[in-house]
Amino acid sequence: MTKKLKNIRNFCIIAHIDHGKSTLADRLIEKTGTVSKRDMSDQLLDSMDLERERGITIKLTPTRMFYDYNGEEYVLNLIDTPGHVDFTYEVSRSLAACEGAILIVDASQGVEAQTIANTYLAVDNNLEILPVINKIDLPSANIEKCRKEIEDVLGVYAEDCPAISAKDGTNIDEVLKQIIERIPAPKGDVDAPLKALIFDSLYDNFKGAICFVRIFDGTVKVGDKITMMKVGKTYEVTEVGVFTPKMKSKDILSCGEVGYICASIKNLSDTKVGDTITNADNPTKSPLEGYKDVQPVVFSGIFPVDGDKYQELKEALEKLKLNDASLKFMPETSVALGFGFRCGFLGLLHMEIITERLEREYGVEIITTAPSVSYHVYKTSGEMLEVSNPSMLPPPAEIDRIEEPMIKLEVYTPPEYVGAVMELCQDKRGEFVDMQYIEKTRVVLKYHMPLAEMIYDFFDNLKSRTKGYASLDYEVYGFAPSELVRLDILLNGEPCDALSMIIHKDKAYTRGRQIAEKLKKIIPRQLFEVPIQACIGGKIIARETVSAMRKDVLAKCYGGDISRKRKLLEKQKAGKKRMRQFGSVELPAETFISILKTDDND
Amino acid sequence: MTMTNAMIYVHIPFCDSKCFYCNFASGIYDEDTKKKYFDKLIDEIKFNCTKAYNITSIYIGGGTPSSVDADFISRIIQVIKENYIVDKNAEISMEANPCSLSKEKLIKYKEIGINRLSIGVQSLDDSCLKMIGRSHTKKIAIEKIKLAKACGFENINCDVLIGIPNQNYKKLKNTVKKLVSLKVAHISAYMLINEPNTILTKKIENNEVKTVSEDKCVVFYDKIVKFLHRHGYERYEVSNFAKDGKMCRQNLGYWLGTEYFGFGLASHSYVNGERYNNTSNLKEYLGSDFNYKKHRLSNQEKIEEKIMLGLRTKFGVCIETLKKLGYDITKTKKNELFMLKSNNFIKINDNKIIVDKNKFGVLNQIILKLLP
Repeated sequence: MTKKLKNIRNFCIIAHIDHGKSTLADRLIEKTGTVSKRDMSDQLLDSMDLERERGITIKLTPTRMFYDYNGEEYVLNLIDTPGHVDFTYEVSRSLAACEGAILIVDASQGVEAQTIANTYLAVDNNLEILPVINKIDLPSANIEKCRKEIEDVLGVYAEDCPAISAKDGTNIDEVLKQIIERIPAPKGDVDAPLKALIFDSLYDNFKGAICFVRIFDGTVKVGDKITMMKVGKTYEVTEVGVFTPKMKSKDILSCGEVGYICASIKNLSDTKVGDTITNADNPTKSPLEGYKDVQPVVFSGIFPVDGDKYQELKEALEKLKLNDASLKFMPETSVALGFGFRCGFLGLLHMEIITERLEREYGVEIITTAPSVSYHVYKTSGEMLEVSNPSMLPPPAEIDRIEEPMIKLEVYTPPEYVGAVMELCQDKRGEFVDMQYIEKTRVVLKYHMPLAEMIYDFFDNLKSRTKGYASLDYEVYGFAPSELVRLDILLNGEPCDALSMIIHKDKAYTRGRQIAEKLKKIIPRQLFEVPIQACIGGKIIARETVSAMRKDVLAKCYGGDISRKRKLLEKQKAGKKRMRQFGSVELPAETFISILKTDDND
Repeated sequence: MTMTNAMIYVHIPFCDSKCFYCNFASGIYDEDTKKKYFDKLIDEIKFNCTKAYNITSIYIGGGTPSSVDADFISRIIQVIKENYIVDKNAEISMEANPCSLSKEKLIKYKEIGINRLSIGVQSLDDSCLKMIGRSHTKKIAIEKIKLAKACGFENINCDVLIGIPNQNYKKLKNTVKKLVSLKVAHISAYMLINEPNTILTKKIENNEVKTVSEDKCVVFYDKIVKFLHRHGYERYEVSNFAKDGKMCRQNLGYWLGTEYFGFGLASHSYVNGERYNNTSNLKEYLGSDFNYKKHRLSNQEKIEEKIMLGLRTKFGVCIETLKKLGYDITKTKKNELFMLKSNNFIKINDNKIIVDKNKFGVLNQIILKLLP
């Protein structure tokens, strides 16, 4: 039975990481009896182990709930959203599928960067914003201050907003009541041609690619011929249904509803998030706005630790891509690392998730090279190359100029750290744009900064300089010319291509020295001395030497206790398994990613 | 029928003071505890009584065995002789620190058959000694070495520590030079390792003292090896140097696979192809019924041990022995052996693989290349 439009509410939850989004979602599901208590596992909608472990949501899982209010039954469709900057586009598309958004703010932390960024996204999508103050069970909770912050910082009316504890289940009914009373019912014309927004998709081995959709106009049922308007492909619908949160098939989906469509679609890349689905024979005249083809911004080489496992790595990447259309990869060959892939990611978190899933879910041990951005290299011949692999940079003589991707960066920080943040941004080649006091205790700093600087330990640095108080948001806005050079690392006199990086010329010296020092710590003692050199265009700028001897060989052995010697050897033996031979030098797998991290402490 | 040779290690966990770098099972205890400990120790020695082995070496280590009443040591040796067959030419070693040595004690040790002394000199630089919390000074150490010689101890080892915070090469060299001029028969040179939870490690963590970098330590060591070599001390094992063939039998035995009984707190044994060890908790030891948890070495472990332990000595590892254990190293590691040999890391003499005396520093890397 299809519900009348006036009894449907489509909403999402937006929040800063760790403000309790998934927990509230769980409580709503529990309260509406959608899933029996027996089947409740913590954070029901985070379906991947990795998500549950890290407490972050990566993949959206929609849920349909029923709730009786004032004698009428309502359908509440919850669309969960990821809370990380890497996935801003996904957030914006799931927002577009809703009429309202619950905005969670942690009662002890207040408004954070991603709260603000996501609220703006929601406002841009004309959503009704429903603020909720969470974690009132915490001793440090300050509900009134939080309420004021929501009004002052976000400009959202918060006088009667529910103060809840999702953890303890306090005041959840109030949230449900406000969802029904304040979020508008969906509009739409059931008799118009089909107009459905794809806000997510999933690959299933039996059903093919499954589109998660919000129907704006018309209806869709099994046997209908449908067209993906941007992709331009036509399919016949094999199944439609809703999320309970498990997928449950249904005869028809009609306007206002949230559900899924299967149509024997072979490739996930044909179901692009943001695309509009319509009738093949009678297409809608006004496809939905806001479609964007997401491009990767961070690139890294991924190689198998064991060179023989290339095929396994390839298959694992292909399988991952079935579930994650934003992952891009192409074959790459490295002198140091052999055959592997250059992979493109939406951001650092995305990269971390993919590499972790490769190792954990697919059991492929991998070596990851330091992430890079994609540069536009204009050659003197007039040709433009996109270079994301430092070793592909043409010789300096052939280069007219190089342009690098730039971001608009917003950092939210308490005023006492403004100096430290500005210093950091300056250090990272940031160009100051604006500074505003959004309230007495919070300042927003706006910078234009090269994306490459963001990748290189910006976040950790920001957190440590502001004692964890600052938060940030960014988006890539374009390219700008920059004086960039390639920094090469020579091991035993041989350039190691997998350690090369493209870097601003003013920073090359310092970084060259840091990397040489870092490598000295990471590369284990070998049979021979190993010189490590950093060089720019053939000029050596730093040198360190890994001496051959090791102190622990000469440690005292007490009273026939050989167990310490054995332990040491076992450890070295285990380490050897993850070693890569480069000439006569053995390198641990983590060497390549380690050069990204500077640790001032050791 | 010839009996199998074996050795005995006895652990005395008592010290007059705790050194700053020590995390070993030893400490300062009252006389009553000492008495209880020795009673238990004697029980243990008797409990394991066997006449199936010819004991060629006894080693009394610690802790500081010289810190306790010499009668305790005397009783221990007595009980060992009553319960085991001790070879008439057995090497009987004891560890001592300079402060606790006295003429009376030394005479007594001589009487009860101790024929080798290992003195924990560590350094002959007063600032270094202070740094690591040793109770003696350069002067005391030299006096006591001379005294031991005067009491008839020919076979004296001195321990030397490398990498003491603030140590420089000059201080180290002066130490070794002095020991050489005192004509000690044996020198053990160890790297100072910053073990967790020691006083010294805490000082380092709090930036109170500055460590000597690993690279520097390694250079120091290399120079000391050459210095000792020039003065007739042979590096017969990774960190041990002997003059006139006065190698430590016990030390060699550990590496060459001789069986040994370990008695006392935290002691280790290797008997009948099994390795086992005593608890390192004193209270637990005092209540122990000597029910050891034994670990029988698998064939794979035997091969690994033969290689990793044998290569520590100038006698190396025997290719035939490995073959008997089912590991044909000349076949399986043909390339590795060729590479190591042609770069002078090892030599192959008389069916034995021997690490070049100048390459002990990379021993672990060599071992890793040769393990099955």
